[in-house]
Amino acid sequence: MSTAALAKLLAEVRAGDANAWGELYRQHAAAIFRLCRRVLPTREDAEDATTEIFMKVRQKLGSYDASRPFTAWLYKVASNHCWDLLRRRRIRQDLETGELEDMPLQHPDPSQIERLQTLHSGREVRAGLARLPDRSRMALVLRYYAEMSYDEIAETLGVRRAFVGVLLLRARHQLRDAVAATRAAAPKTLSAGAQS
Amino acid sequence: MSHFDEMTALLYLDGQLDASHAEDVKKHVNDCPACAAMLHAIAHEGVWLRDALAADEETIPAQLAGAPERESFPLGWAAAFAFGCGGAYTLWAGLIAPWQAQASEAGFTQGNLLTMLFFSGAFWRGWDAMLTGMGVVAGAILAAVAAWLLRRRWKWLTTAAVVVMGCALVMLATPSPAGAAQVQHGDPDFTLPAGQTVETDLIVFGNYVRIDGDVNGDLITFSQNVTVNGQVKGDVICFARELTVNGAVGGNVRTWSQSLTIEGTVEKNVTDFSRQFVLENKGTVNGSIMGATGDAVLDGTLGGDLLSAAGTMEIQGSLGRNANIRAERLTIGPTAVIAGATKYRGRETPKISPQAKLGSPPEITIEKRGPDYTRFRYYWHRIELWGAAFLFGLAWILLLPAVFFDATNACKRIGRSLGFGVLFLIVTPIIAGIVCITIVGLGIGLATLLLYLIALYSAQIFVGSWVGEMLLGSRYGVGAATARLALGLAVLRVLISLPYAGGWILLFVTILGLGGLILALHKRLRPHATAVAVA
Repeated sequence: MSTAALAKLLAEVRAGDANAWGELYRQHAAAIFRLCRRVLPTREDAEDATTEIFMKVRQKLGSYDASRPFTAWLYKVASNHCWDLLRRRRIRQDLETGELEDMPLQHPDPSQIERLQTLHSGREVRAGLARLPDRSRMALVLRYYAEMSYDEIAETLGVRRAFVGVLLLRARHQLRDAVAATRAAAPKTLSAGAQS
Repeated sequence: MSHFDEMTALLYLDGQLDASHAEDVKKHVNDCPACAAMLHAIAHEGVWLRDALAADEETIPAQLAGAPERESFPLGWAAAFAFGCGGAYTLWAGLIAPWQAQASEAGFTQGNLLTMLFFSGAFWRGWDAMLTGMGVVAGAILAAVAAWLLRRRWKWLTTAAVVVMGCALVMLATPSPAGAAQVQHGDPDFTLPAGQTVETDLIVFGNYVRIDGDVNGDLITFSQNVTVNGQVKGDVICFARELTVNGAVGGNVRTWSQSLTIEGTVEKNVTDFSRQFVLENKGTVNGSIMGATGDAVLDGTLGGDLLSAAGTMEIQGSLGRNANIRAERLTIGPTAVIAGATKYRGRETPKISPQAKLGSPPEITIEKRGPDYTRFRYYWHRIELWGAAFLFGLAWILLLPAVFFDATNACKRIGRSLGFGVLFLIVTPIIAGIVCITIVGLGIGLATLLLYLIALYSAQIFVGSWVGEMLLGSRYGVGAATARLALGLAVLRVLISLPYAGGWILLFVTILGLGGLILALHKRLRPHATAVAVA
């Protein structure tokens, strides 16, 4: 959708046009549901959250700055909502930082990383992602699904900008381990995953 | 440039390195196949992640097919609001209103009940002059605690809540402005001789305090034994083992003591919390008497109402208005006169002399030992208790959701929660009592006891929420949490009401929930390394 068309659609939504609101929702609901699905533990949670996010979007649309991409703003609202949900339930579980000292900063073996990428399917990656601590999972989704900048990730997760890189790298390490464990734990997934 | 690490590679790929550093990396990659391979692997991993996350493997649920309308009201909030209203109503109708009605019926119409319980401000007024440093000390301690908490967790709502609660407690313990007062420390005893007059309030510490002279303001004492033979124009406020009033008190008598004896005259009301209360034959109280006492003997004259909870109550004197008595045993002697209505609630049939002069036939309610399962009232009362607990739990969810969920989760670790629960159940009141004994710590001690009681009551909330989670699952959102709480509390209420086992279950729930709360608070307040240190 062109910028002009989107601006017109948003103006109509602000004016209370139900059809325009429906159109805006149809264009973005799938992406937001997918984001929720990636970060929240169950499908039901993602469904509820998607509805709640769009209710918020409609309420906050007046505060949307048209100079920014609408999708980025939408993802920001969605990720804030999801993070808030996660924080309410498990605010401290993944805030422990004692393991930072264990952060491997040495030169990794590129072949191992590539082998992992070759052997494991997207389904296994998503399964591994679901087992990560909330903040690590959230960081990966914000960066590689919502394409957020380091500044936006820092703001959403409430961490210093300089820490975002550490957070992402640690999350990658955790994901590698989780994906490898997926294969080790469930060999049958290989054939199923290879098809996806 | 030597080999760079994985972090540098990631930051380089994400454009997070400064220009010169990025240029170094770029040059190094051209000359170093190992780093180039690593950089390629990291970059490819990003693509791999993007592909995996963007995959459209699930269809949008049918219920999300249509855009949500602004007018639609979230079901969870609607349920929470409805439950909240129900809880507020039951709390009011079941607990507060009956008490207020009883107090009003007994003639206690001066201000609200809470104000009355806190001695209409007179109690605190005296503190101003007596311990001017207390507010400063308490404020300084709380400020230090607040600073300590803020240093670690300035963003957290919990911290804000602790600070606000602390400020509220300081306000509670901070006296309202008052006039000047004379402070006397006995050595170890104190006597105000006959013929001497204190024109202001008089505040006395001493083992034995004897007031033979006159006090034109209030008399406030912290002593073992207090005897008032002279005249006090204001109130007598007393924390003592024994208080005897032989003289005349122009205001109220408020006492927290082992025994209170009135042989003189009290122009206004008596508020009494003591083990033994005696209104002697010559004694007169022109206002009302309200209190809780072990044994009470009313042999003198009472002008107003009597509202009393007592172990045993014996009335031989005259009461000008109504008597509302809750006691184990009641005796109304032949010389007794009660001009108004007489209401009695207790386990034993009262002994009422035929010679006693009562304004109307006494209204007597004999309570059975143990609950009466045949009465609707019993079940309605359970519902009221459930409603009150639910309302309280709702406040936790809405005001301190993180602590609520932490405490609920902590309850799942039964061993640790029980251990901490038992410890704090026993130790807290002991510590609070010790703090109370030291005069400076009285406000803090009482505040601690208040928080302790709140924590005990909250225990069922966390355990109930956990029980609800076991039954309904652990979906997110206020609506789901509310439903879990409602169901869990209902289950607990049923279990607690069971004959014989109910008491033990209540104890178990209280200990477990208290332990859960302690663990949650500990988790929140303990120091730990901050993540940002790595930057």
